[in-house]
Amino acid sequence: MDQIYSKQTIKRCVLKSRRKYFHQESVATQQDRSESFAATNKGRWSIERGWCVSGVVTSLGRGVEADAAGALVISALRRARRAGAAERASLASTDSGDEGAGHRPPRKRTRRLSPPARPADMHQPPAANGAPPPHHVNGDTATRNGDLQPPGLRMSQTDQEIVRLIGQHLLSVGLDRSAALLMEESGLHLEHPAAATFRTHVLAGDWVKADHDLRALHDLLQETPQVDPHNLAEMKFVVLEQKYLEHLEAGRVLDALHVLRNELTPLQYDTPRVHRLSALMMCADARELQARAHWPGSGPHSRANVLARVQSVLPPALMMAPGRLRALLSQATLQQASRCRFHAAPRPTPSPDNIPFTLLADHHCSADHFPIHSLQVLNEHCDEVWYCKWSPDGARLASGSKDNTVMIWDFDPVAKRLTFRKSLEGHTYGVSFLAWSPDGRYLIAAGPEDCPDLWIWNMETEQLHLKMTHSQEDSLTAVAWHAASDKFVCGGARGQFYHCSIDGTLLNSWDGVRVNALASRGDARAVLAADTHHRVRHYDFTDLTDRNLIQEEHAVMAMTLNAADTLLLLNVANQGVHLWDIRARALVRRFRGLSQGHFTIHACFGGAHQDFIASGSEDNKVYIWHINGEEPIAVVSGHTRCVNCVSWNPVHHDCSGTRCPPGKAWQRACRALQCALLAPPRAALCPPAHKPL
Amino acid sequence: MGKIFLDHIGGTRLFSCASCDVNLTNRSELISTRFTGATGRAFLFHKVVNLVYSEVQDRVMLTGRHMVRDVSCKNCGTKLGWVYEFATEENQRYKEGRVILERALVTESDGIEEIQVNNDD
Repeated sequence: MDQIYSKQTIKRCVLKSRRKYFHQESVATQQDRSESFAATNKGRWSIERGWCVSGVVTSLGRGVEADAAGALVISALRRARRAGAAERASLASTDSGDEGAGHRPPRKRTRRLSPPARPADMHQPPAANGAPPPHHVNGDTATRNGDLQPPGLRMSQTDQEIVRLIGQHLLSVGLDRSAALLMEESGLHLEHPAAATFRTHVLAGDWVKADHDLRALHDLLQETPQVDPHNLAEMKFVVLEQKYLEHLEAGRVLDALHVLRNELTPLQYDTPRVHRLSALMMCADARELQARAHWPGSGPHSRANVLARVQSVLPPALMMAPGRLRALLSQATLQQASRCRFHAAPRPTPSPDNIPFTLLADHHCSADHFPIHSLQVLNEHCDEVWYCKWSPDGARLASGSKDNTVMIWDFDPVAKRLTFRKSLEGHTYGVSFLAWSPDGRYLIAAGPEDCPDLWIWNMETEQLHLKMTHSQEDSLTAVAWHAASDKFVCGGARGQFYHCSIDGTLLNSWDGVRVNALASRGDARAVLAADTHHRVRHYDFTDLTDRNLIQEEHAVMAMTLNAADTLLLLNVANQGVHLWDIRARALVRRFRGLSQGHFTIHACFGGAHQDFIASGSEDNKVYIWHINGEEPIAVVSGHTRCVNCVSWNPVHHDCSGTRCPPGKAWQRACRALQCALLAPPRAALCPPAHKPL
Repeated sequence: MGKIFLDHIGGTRLFSCASCDVNLTNRSELISTRFTGATGRAFLFHKVVNLVYSEVQDRVMLTGRHMVRDVSCKNCGTKLGWVYEFATEENQRYKEGRVILERALVTESDGIEEIQVNNDD
């Protein structure tokens, strides 16, 4: 009785307001409208719409109530007329009235759907400005999710999408009323009502209704040309799979069997998967089921997964991916971080849950957070410092000098200080190269060209593990460890190229190669060797094969492979630092600015993602490049002699951007570079002055 | 300063600095042995590595006026010969860019059999 009464009330209001707002329209059109309205009234959809809106109107306050009520009735009327027009159009092709033709295609048959349960899906705007609605600007895709813009509001497609994103985000943070208001005022739908009911039913575990909703969604899909007929089967399969698993988990084996036999199998979709599902019948308990099905168990989590999988099939206008706004923002921060030229800290993972920067301004790290400030000068060496290398855990630094010592320094990551730990003595030709084993337990020291020995130091006992000499005629200047830390290769320009075990045993050797520099590949068998013919060649000591990789025009002095085993950094005599992609065998960058060739200079990768390159130079400076550019982003001066080697701390490279207090970031950032070692007679770790470009 | 970077030209017959044994060139780079330097016999080479070069000097030699630079060993600094920068006589032009090493200042030794590879492999 109540319902009938309200219908009549609405009808009266409609007639009144139509007199008020549409008096200029023809009588014929008015007749059309009242007919169609009567037709629509049969369904409860428009009534409930009306109810929803009047609820909101009341909350808005009494002042606007009358006007808003008029508007709501208008929109109800408009909706009804459109639905009526659709029905008429399906019966016979009559004229479609004054405004509806392009705006609301006949496919909009959502009346039979129950209204959405969540406030955000409330539909009708109280749009109180009263002007007769002009033609709407909604395109075809926008109307697909049932949007209806209030009169006088013109929004582009992008604006509409932004409003929907905002609405979704408001809901996700619990601002339900604001979201509802937003949707009303904009006249947009967060998602199509059919999708909304589907979501409700899936989350409630009402699989029969969800299946029904799917069919409605699929009807909508069929009107888009690019639809794949597999879609329905795929969506149904996802839903039924969840239904089946939930039955099984609850021990309703017969129900599950019914789903399997009468619902899943007839779909004829992904039969192998059906077979695997049927095997789950044998699971003893819920835990075993979850483990074998890789399924988190019934509940909001797995049901949200179902929604996400269905959603991936549906066009986004029908159903938005969850957390879409956060996903977009995290993409933006990722992009900004990758373009930030001083971003040495780890880049954010593309996870919507983790947005590490403020969103209020574009992210960029200031040069002050970058390791270009000197923290400390180490003066203990009494001759030229030829090489330095951080241990793999970033806690110790080894420096090799012409003064026949290797010095080990402890690094305090809090105080950002290096303290002298021990001097490893006994070398007789100077120390020109150092290699930490990947597990940090051993350190190999090599000398210059005339040195036939290798010193293998045990870094746990800090005693000499072995002095390896095979022949006094040898020259061993380059060393590279295997990834497993149990073997290494070494070589020199006189033609030695040895594969040795940790106890110094010569496992194998390659004749006829004059080695300038070595690097181990990640697969623990292949080695890259830069030779005196300006080549980098690939040697496999397991099957004794070799092949050419890179041909340079000038001599390769030093070589560094990045951690990902993809990029090779070459210090080329009298040229720049060259970066090669070893998979594509292509030159990627020629880093410019430095001078080198007379002395052996070592460059390194740095930063959390190894996207910085730093190299010493004969002009007493340290050059730092970003991997994306060939011009240096920073030139650090302050050293008094040639900078022979730069080593970037593999762990403490952070400069955490805007969240770090400037003073702290300054120190922390500096620490990463503190081993741009200087030439004699003092070893200067990080020069006292700096000059960012 | 730093550790001097020393190149190696390779080859089977090597010429090295007599005082520090750094590799300079090899037999295949040899153009002529019929030259004379300050210490007697001198060889003309096509390419020599591990040298440092002095400023250009103008010298009148038996074969005419030349612009030359003295060359020294990059490792030990011993003067080894000179390099022709510019030959004023047209028939001496072939010497431009070539290096004279004095026989008494270099030693000859055997190299190793190196892997010969096609760069395209």
